[in-house]
Formats: sequence, structure tokens, C-alpha cells
Amino acid sequence: MHAAGSPQRVCGRRPTRRPAAVAQNEVVAKRKKPARVPVAPRAKTTARSTPVLTRRRVLLVVLIAAAVAVGLVGASLLSARGDGDGDGGDPAAIAGGPDVELLLDGVPQEGTAIGEDDAPVTLVEYADLQCPFCADWALQTFPELVRDYVRDGRLRIEFRGLAFIGPESEDALRAALAAGEQGKLWNVVDLVYTNQGAENSGWVTEDFLRAVGEAVPSLDVDRMLEARDAAEVTASIEEAALAAEADGVTGTPSFLLGETGGELGPLEISSLEPEEFRAAIDRLLQE
Amino acid sequence: MSDRALRIAVAALALAGAGIAGYLTYAKYADTTIACATGGCETVQSSEYAEVLGLPVPVLGLAGYLAILATALFAGEHARLAGAALALGGLVFSVYLVVVQIVAIGAFCQWCLASDLVMLLLAAATVARLRVRQPAPG
Repeated sequence: MHAAGSPQRVCGRRPTRRPAAVAQNEVVAKRKKPARVPVAPRAKTTARSTPVLTRRRVLLVVLIAAAVAVGLVGASLLSARGDGDGDGGDPAAIAGGPDVELLLDGVPQEGTAIGEDDAPVTLVEYADLQCPFCADWALQTFPELVRDYVRDGRLRIEFRGLAFIGPESEDALRAALAAGEQGKLWNVVDLVYTNQGAENSGWVTEDFLRAVGEAVPSLDVDRMLEARDAAEVTASIEEAALAAEADGVTGTPSFLLGETGGELGPLEISSLEPEEFRAAIDRLLQE
Repeated sequence: MSDRALRIAVAALALAGAGIAGYLTYAKYADTTIACATGGCETVQSSEYAEVLGLPVPVLGLAGYLAILATALFAGEHARLAGAALALGGLVFSVYLVVVQIVAIGAFCQWCLASDLVMLLLAAATVARLRVRQPAPG
């Protein structure tokens, strides 16, 4: 390998090609690699070699490599996004399981509500599980509110699910409400938002819902899937729709805020950032 | 390094890669559990990223390694170009698969990582082959 490597690096420019036949023999003898420093091939290499890295060759290689890579990665993403093989849900494909568990573990949940019953302030969220802004709120603001207000019993949050974006909204919503029967609605809601797909793109599949369920520890997934068509779930969806109409909800997410048990008023916000919610909740808590 | 040495290196690496991919393919179709020290092999192998358009990733890997092995059997320009293109394309796909393991699956499969390493070395060796001066034919 060495003998093969060095002539190439030297490129035959050493002026020792012909006059140094004797000296070369000595070198060869010392290295004990007699046949490896041939004069003729080296001369040939320098004299008439194919160009090493022409721009054309580099371009060709890069183009083919890029085509191979784009083809493989694209196909992989496509098939990963499509339906599974019907071999059931795959919790590994659901992101955020441990985070959601960490956030919600030990926080009381009942039906659509999270937080202590006697928390002084109640926040109501009208949301569609397919709505991207709802997902933003769920991922950036909801965790802060849970950590700073819900956990210490100062706030309870109630989920009112709407299904106005499309049938997939209702598919996801039914699963969430069914999980509410086991006190896990917010876990499912949060995981659906974390793994939300494009609106009405076919992302809410049976496999997806099963996988979401399986990513929630201590949730009986079969029970959740069965309860999706229960009368209570349907009633809950109808109630939320009526309440939204009564509250003049025109888009999601929309919020109501007020003292628990008292009358809740619409929360006017200019952004979904946590600060606005903190300010409004703090104001109520100080009253 | 001479082209000959590099061809031997490419062939050896491609065989190693084919061995890994072959084992994973075997495990997939024989339904045996994969020997796994990282604990995530089954998770990775059963994830939705384990198949591309219905073809298991190990099968793709096996085909890729065998194709690269084939390019090592020939000295010509086309063989070297094809070898480098395949290995570089394979490398990008390997990097993507590592990212998938980290981001989407959250579990690691040691065999996949070993295969990724082999592909990295193969990319280096096949690109090195492009840089070696070749005697002009004739």
C-alpha cells in the first residue's frame, strides 16, 4: 500500500527516473519490496492518465447520488405517512409520549376537565383537533399553564371540542372524549396536537388513534376505541357545538375565562403566547 | 492508495454491509428476534419507517451493498462513477435513517447504526477511487 501510494503523490517529478537506477535499487533493497517501485508504470501514469476529477464527473456522481437519495428519502417519508400495514398502532411513531406523560402525570383529570374541581379560576378552550393554531397553543402555552397554575390548584381547564374543519376532526375528537372517560382526555389531545397532520389529509387513521392511545401509559386503548361511539361522546360533541354557538365562537382556538362556578366571559387575546393568559389569570386570582 | 487496494476495500466493506443487511432481512422474514444490545432494534424494525413503498429497508440495503460490490469488481470509469454515486446516495439515506431513529422513532438499532457506519466508509472509499489516477486505456 505504501509503495503504491508514494509514487502517486510524487507523480514521477523526481528527477531520479533514469539516472538513479543504481540508487533506486538500493532503496528497493532496503525496503524489501523489490517489484513495487517499477519505473515504467510510473512513467505511464504521469504521461497519459485519465483526468482525475473533472467537473463533469463530479457533477454526474453528485446528480446520481442526489437522485438515489431523494428517491429513497422521499419514498420513505411517503410510505411512513401513509397508512400502516393494518398491524395495529405503533407508539414508536408517535412523538411526545414521554413529554406529555411528564407534564400531566399526577394532575387530576375528569372528563373534559383538568385541574382541581375547586380551583378558583376556570379556563374553557374551544378547539378543533385539526386546527394548527390550537396545536400551537397546546404546545407552547398549555404546558406552562399546567405547570404554573393547574398543578398548584389555582386553575382548571375545560376542553370543548369542535369538529368544523372536517370529518377527521370528529374522528380525533371522539377518541379524545372517549379517553376522557378514563381521565386521559388531555393526554390524547396533547399527543394528537404534537403529531398533527395537515387538515383533512387522511392523517387521523385507526392506526394513528391506536398509536396515540398506546403512547398514553395506563390507558386502556381498546376501551377507548370502543367508547368512541358511545352516546355520552356524541352528547358531549353536540353540547360543545351548542355552547360554542351560544358563546359566539367564530374560530378556534377561542377561550372563556372566569371564576369557577361563576359566569365565564370571552377572553380577548391578541396572541396565543403564554403571557396574555398569565396576565388574565393573575388578574382574576388577585380579585 | 491504488485503485486495486481501494477495490478490495470497497468489496470488503460492501460484503460487511450486505452481511448486516442480510441478517436483518433474514430476521424480518424468519420472524426471529434480532440480537440487540441497544434494545431498540425491534422498535426500529417494526416502525413505519422500516419499509419504503412496501420494501423492507434491509432489503433495500442488501440490494445497495450488492450493487456497490458489483462496482468493485470492475476497474473501469463507469464502475467507479456508479460505485461513488450509489455509496453517496446510500450515505444520505443512512443519515436520514439515523435522524429518523433519533427524531421520529426515539429508539436505536445497533445493526442499523453499524450499517450506516459501513456506508460512510464505503462512500469514502468509492470517492477515493474517483481520485486515483488511472492509466489511460491503451
